[in-house]
Amino acid sequence: MEKLKIASYWASACGGCDVAILDIHEKIVDVANIADIVFWPVATDFKEKDVEGYPDGYIDVTLFHGAIRNSENEHYAQLLRRKSKILVAFGSCAVMGGIPGLANFKKREDILGWVYFESPSTQNKERVLPQTSTPVPEGELTLPSFYEEVKTLGDVVDVDYFMPGCPPAPHQIWAVLQVLASGNLPPKGAVVGASDKALCDECKRVKTEKKVKRFYRTYEIIPDPERCLLEQGIVCMGPVTRGGCGARCTSAHQPCRGCYGPLEGVVDQGAKYISALASIVDANTWEEAQEIIGHIPDPAGTFYRFGLPGSLLRRARNV
Amino acid sequence: MRQIVIDPITRLEGHGKISIFLDDTGAVKNVYFQIPELRGFEKFVEGRPSEEVPQIVSRICGV
Repeated sequence: MEKLKIASYWASACGGCDVAILDIHEKIVDVANIADIVFWPVATDFKEKDVEGYPDGYIDVTLFHGAIRNSENEHYAQLLRRKSKILVAFGSCAVMGGIPGLANFKKREDILGWVYFESPSTQNKERVLPQTSTPVPEGELTLPSFYEEVKTLGDVVDVDYFMPGCPPAPHQIWAVLQVLASGNLPPKGAVVGASDKALCDECKRVKTEKKVKRFYRTYEIIPDPERCLLEQGIVCMGPVTRGGCGARCTSAHQPCRGCYGPLEGVVDQGAKYISALASIVDANTWEEAQEIIGHIPDPAGTFYRFGLPGSLLRRARNV
Repeated sequence: MRQIVIDPITRLEGHGKISIFLDDTGAVKNVYFQIPELRGFEKFVEGRPSEEVPQIVSRICGV
């Protein structure tokens, strides 16, 4: 059998998805047996020109990490879409914006202003801002343009599969690679490497009755190590988040922050969580409900921690 | 003036681009290193609860 040609690229990302691929440990040798890597900036020396030189559809599978933050990210999304038979949105950033998507709570000029002028560690008396084109004595230097908002991969190109997680769990990566190599492909648009059930389904914590009288910030309480975190008043996104990660966070006594994204058929993970909260807040009056909910700091930034650009909200208005 | 562009620079975390300008004899006249990425963690952690920040900024670099 001819070897697969695979590529892995990071757009607006942290490299954690690349490391997660390496976290399949010795199985990476098996990957080398079935596939040749034709582009992978973190690990190999192929350049943009190499990719441009490939015929269209030359790459069998591209694992695309990272959100679309600037014009270079979109350029690579389009380039790799053209060169790839299968394009996988790999990791929370590519699927729904991820942590870089939190920038959609801020305005572009406020981000640039803080980073380049205002922050206490910045010295920029000439008030220099990065430009898309800068003349230098020898010629011209160019930089990508910084977009008004963070987008998902699916916002800019056609995506074949969506694999959530920050990062995707290594056992799921291995399983998905095997499926892609087998040629027995799931239907286009499928979410792969994740469960169809909620995180709670695989979380081993004991669940009884979800009735919450008071919410706690994580530093305000030492949770019972066996019981459901949400039932103890700790905001946990488990009920509205796709499982498949192996409940890595709740096993380590940390609440789920929703990186595997919304459940099948759910459009907006944050809105779904608000609905879930409404059913567990143990209040008899409107005032009491306000009091209980009022203990949750930063609801938007928590309920949309990994998925603001891919949600119905997309971004904050008039901030 | 001839220009050699190394893009992307590889085998490290992050995005980088190097432009090398050569004179008529092929000698290096000047070299520019550019970082074509910004996410703005400095700004978007504002408003997030302090106890959540370690888990957010761990996504600055995951390598």
